[in-house]
Amino acid sequence: MSHKGKSLTRRDFLRGTLGATLGASVLGTKFVTAGGSAASKSLVTIVRDQNAMDASNNVNSGVLKTMLDQTLIKFTGKPTAKDAWLSLVKPEDTIGLVPTPHLNPTHQEVTDAVKNSLIAAGIPEGKILNAQGGPDKPEACTALIGLPALKAHWLTGIGTVMKLYILYSGKPSYYHDQNNAKLGEIWNLPCCKGKTRLVLVDSLHPLCDKGPQVNPTYKWAYNGLIAGTDSVAVDTVCLRIIMEKRKLMKGEPWPLSPPPLCVEAADKDYGLGTSNWDNIKVENYGWEEELLLG
Amino acid sequence: MTESKPILPKTVGLWTRPDSPKFVNAQNIFDYMDGAGELYIGYRFDHLEYYEYKAKSQEDILVEIYFMKTSDDAFGLLSLDWGGEPVDLSQPSQEKASTISAHWPRALYGEGLLRLWSDNIYARVMAYQETPESKQAVLALGHSISKDRRNPPRPDLMKNLPDSFEPNWAIRRDRASYFRSHLVLNSIYYLGQENMLDLDHTSESLTAPYERTDSSGDKTRIRFLLVKHSDNERARNALAHFHRVYLPEHPLQIKSGYSEKTVNVYPIEDGWMGYKLQNNIIAFIFECPDQETARTIINQIWLYTIQKKEV
Repeated sequence: MSHKGKSLTRRDFLRGTLGATLGASVLGTKFVTAGGSAASKSLVTIVRDQNAMDASNNVNSGVLKTMLDQTLIKFTGKPTAKDAWLSLVKPEDTIGLVPTPHLNPTHQEVTDAVKNSLIAAGIPEGKILNAQGGPDKPEACTALIGLPALKAHWLTGIGTVMKLYILYSGKPSYYHDQNNAKLGEIWNLPCCKGKTRLVLVDSLHPLCDKGPQVNPTYKWAYNGLIAGTDSVAVDTVCLRIIMEKRKLMKGEPWPLSPPPLCVEAADKDYGLGTSNWDNIKVENYGWEEELLLG
Repeated sequence: MTESKPILPKTVGLWTRPDSPKFVNAQNIFDYMDGAGELYIGYRFDHLEYYEYKAKSQEDILVEIYFMKTSDDAFGLLSLDWGGEPVDLSQPSQEKASTISAHWPRALYGEGLLRLWSDNIYARVMAYQETPESKQAVLALGHSISKDRRNPPRPDLMKNLPDSFEPNWAIRRDRASYFRSHLVLNSIYYLGQENMLDLDHTSESLTAPYERTDSSGDKTRIRFLLVKHSDNERARNALAHFHRVYLPEHPLQIKSGYSEKTVNVYPIEDGWMGYKLQNNIIAFIFECPDQETARTIINQIWLYTIQKKEV
């Protein structure tokens, strides 16, 4: 889609020159896809349990642990959560956990569950760090586990996976609005390039409107964990879930604005993964009501 | 009525506040709310005072009082989302107010969050856990914030928002917004990356969709946008900027005036768009199904905006 050096307007989306993901998100139309071979598809798993939160939206840590184990096993194909972790990270790694810090932040229970699971897999507790913050955080790590929360964002359209490392840039406001397309370049900075071993999205209680502050009217109990190693594919699935929920909530098209340029640009401009729906294999397990995959 | 600071109760229901609020200004707003600060800076923001009410065995209630430089700016913040249940805070019982289709509410409540506009204040009062007790406390706090304060009318520019256009287009009031910043415009209706309309704190704008109302069930929408700049030259320059970025294939021929012939209409990807410049005001219409609709509607806007009342 390369748009570098060009001032994008609404008309570029309408012409379809920016590709399927963006056109769909701006105009509220169906995701357009182009064929991809099954062998090359990026796997994204969704594990949901209706009892992950109670009626007051308190997280049930026992259910969450089971969901995390299932996610790890299903995603890697390994027999146990321990084997799964050890296929993703090495015992000698210094592992940084990267949760979403603001506006519908990642549940602490999710971060704790991942940390405990890593410890159970044999990773020393002292080698597991909170890596959210400035560029010094990922520099101290040899592996990163992204733990974003599922949410829309008023300056970047979607504020989930691609936006997760924004503080690593040292200039987060630079990436708002028109520059949200450049969020992918942060993933290629030396401090974090190639270090992401897994993206695990906290989609227990997502936010489908952009904010900028949380309005609980636009939160809902999805009760899910979404996982993948292709960060762009995971964000593409997250984008679809948010768009489907917005349509469902309003009973009419409710496009994201500004458009989430970052997702497709991460694919086309920065080569971080695929935003083409046909190149993504989504496997879902557990509770199926309102899965919101279109 | 006074314009003094609201006096919040020390205790409301089960909840008690600290003795003094915390202050946030334009210099440290990003420390407090990350990128959300851009929204408030996009209006004429003065400062924010906030309290966290706490209660044993209950989730907190957060009270944020945004002191804006004008009532218009406070209204603008509320206008970004008309969702929720309208409430009338002028009555101690906080009875339900009429819906947005009948009036423009000054306070809206939904799932623990109350948002209100009271003179130059925009406030958010949020119970992190909605219960009957917390809802009662949130509404009581809203009443305290707005008590004995003036209730100025909506911004003058909003009065130039017709309820309908002939022959069969009706406003979607629940999506009508007032703003000063291109970031806010892009969060409502994305036009493009650049600040192509040269919006800033000296300008004011409003936008709303209009929906076809005939019996066919066709819910076709058009988008109306009105921009008022501080003077005629700024408006003309802003329109030229818009035209260069948005309509580069069309020669720039900005015509101004009252006559029907001065409407500029263009076919683009999502239908016909049109604009009209008069003095310091630019009216735009987007997504019209045909040229005649674009021309007719923009002339109606002009009759409503200029001839009814000189802005």
